[in-house]
Amino acid sequence: MKKLILSTLALCLLISARAEQSPQQLISAVYHSFHRVVDYSADVRMDFDIPSVRIKSLSGRVFFKQPDRFRVRTSGIVFLPKQNPYYAMNFLSDSTAYTAVATGAERIGATDCKVVTVLPLKDGDIILGKFWIDPVRQRVVRAQLTTRSNGLIQMDNTYSAQAYPVPDQILFTVDMTKFKVPKAISVDINSKAASGDYNQKGVGHITLTFSGYKINQKLPDAVFTEEAH
Amino acid sequence: MLQLVYVELIKIFTKPRSYIGFLAVTAVILLIQFAMYIDGRNYLDFMLQTMRQSFDIGGNILNGHLVCFIILQTLIMQMPLMVALVTGDLISGEAASGTIRLLATRPYSRGQILLAKYLAGTIYTVALVLWLGILALGLSRLLFGHGDIIVLKTDSLTIVRDADLLWRFFSAFFIAILSLMVVATFSLMLSCFTDNSIGPIIVSMSVIIVFTIIGTLEVPFFDHIKPLLFTTHMVIWRNMFDDPLPLSQITTSVSVLVAHIVVFLAVSFYYFTRKDIQS
Repeated sequence: MKKLILSTLALCLLISARAEQSPQQLISAVYHSFHRVVDYSADVRMDFDIPSVRIKSLSGRVFFKQPDRFRVRTSGIVFLPKQNPYYAMNFLSDSTAYTAVATGAERIGATDCKVVTVLPLKDGDIILGKFWIDPVRQRVVRAQLTTRSNGLIQMDNTYSAQAYPVPDQILFTVDMTKFKVPKAISVDINSKAASGDYNQKGVGHITLTFSGYKINQKLPDAVFTEEAH
Repeated sequence: MLQLVYVELIKIFTKPRSYIGFLAVTAVILLIQFAMYIDGRNYLDFMLQTMRQSFDIGGNILNGHLVCFIILQTLIMQMPLMVALVTGDLISGEAASGTIRLLATRPYSRGQILLAKYLAGTIYTVALVLWLGILALGLSRLLFGHGDIIVLKTDSLTIVRDADLLWRFFSAFFIAILSLMVVATFSLMLSCFTDNSIGPIIVSMSVIIVFTIIGTLEVPFFDHIKPLLFTTHMVIWRNMFDDPLPLSQITTSVSVLVAHIVVFLAVSFYYFTRKDIQS
């Protein structure tokens, strides 16, 4: 009984210690937790909801290797965000390159998150980063990046009971204000502007749903360089 | 009747001008395929650079299906001219050379003669589209493989998946045949009115060019006229690559094309069976 009380106390202290971590420590903990994943491959299903683009869902296989090599292999055409899902993680690797500020707490789904805003100290593509971190499981639940090249990008990660910090689903929300449909290749001389909200610019959503993870299987580098079939 | 059609086919295929269409189709297709083979990736990179600013576009974009689609876009609006070159000559050519009188003395009615010429013209049209299909789709798939295609509209784009493409291409070819049959029937009708072969060919070409220009002009005045022009409905093959398929639009256009064929053919029959053959 004594042991049980002591264990419960220790667990509470651990959780409260984590809860009181500084933003820098929190990010460092997330980063180190993520680094337990050296590489992985998984099946992926991609769903698209992009204004001005009609594209059906597609399945494929995804490969990742530290620090930021990421590839989706499919048999068809896919539209993916320019930044890979671990772009933010790579940015957080150098703790001297940014200042982290705790900016509150927020509940996302069933997870209580700490919100950490990250201000880069060096000139780069990222202007501002905002991370919603689950302090208990040390995982990024939501990342919002303001970039020079592509405006605002948001990634919402959904995790299951997986031991490793790899998401079951990532929902990308991409800024579409810079997106333009090219006027060549196959211009339709008789078509008029589409009606309804189909062509309204705003944000595009891309959902990657992962399954069948194979983690730390020593992926060869060739999978990231080989030509698509 | 079959013998009459056979004789008309022989007449068509012994004229050198009948091969101009096949040669032109072959030359254009081979040129496009060669250019895409040599520089297709750079061309597509340039075309897609605005989209690549926002997205990483993955997958095999340059494939046989895309090449075939580009060929169809380039060629289908020009093919009516090749068809008119042959079908505009079917009656008037014989009138000009004086053989129509001889033909009229054969134990066939004028209606049968006209029908045989029309069927021969249709077979020629189908052969031309089949040749286009073999080269544009078959050879392109052989050279570039197959895959999804990006279909661009004025303000949107659709990705059509590989598995969903073959039946769309076959339907597009069927609509192309129907469209060309409208032109064939129109030039055959004009051919009944004159005794020289240049007139119907030139008039057919001029009508197609004028109608196409009206179709491309974004002037509100023409909005009421455009649905009445057969050239507006001839480009409906492109809608076979829309997702979801605009079935009512396709059905309307196909009906309009069929109606044009029926009207042109009826006028041809009416005039030719009553025509006073003097040459």
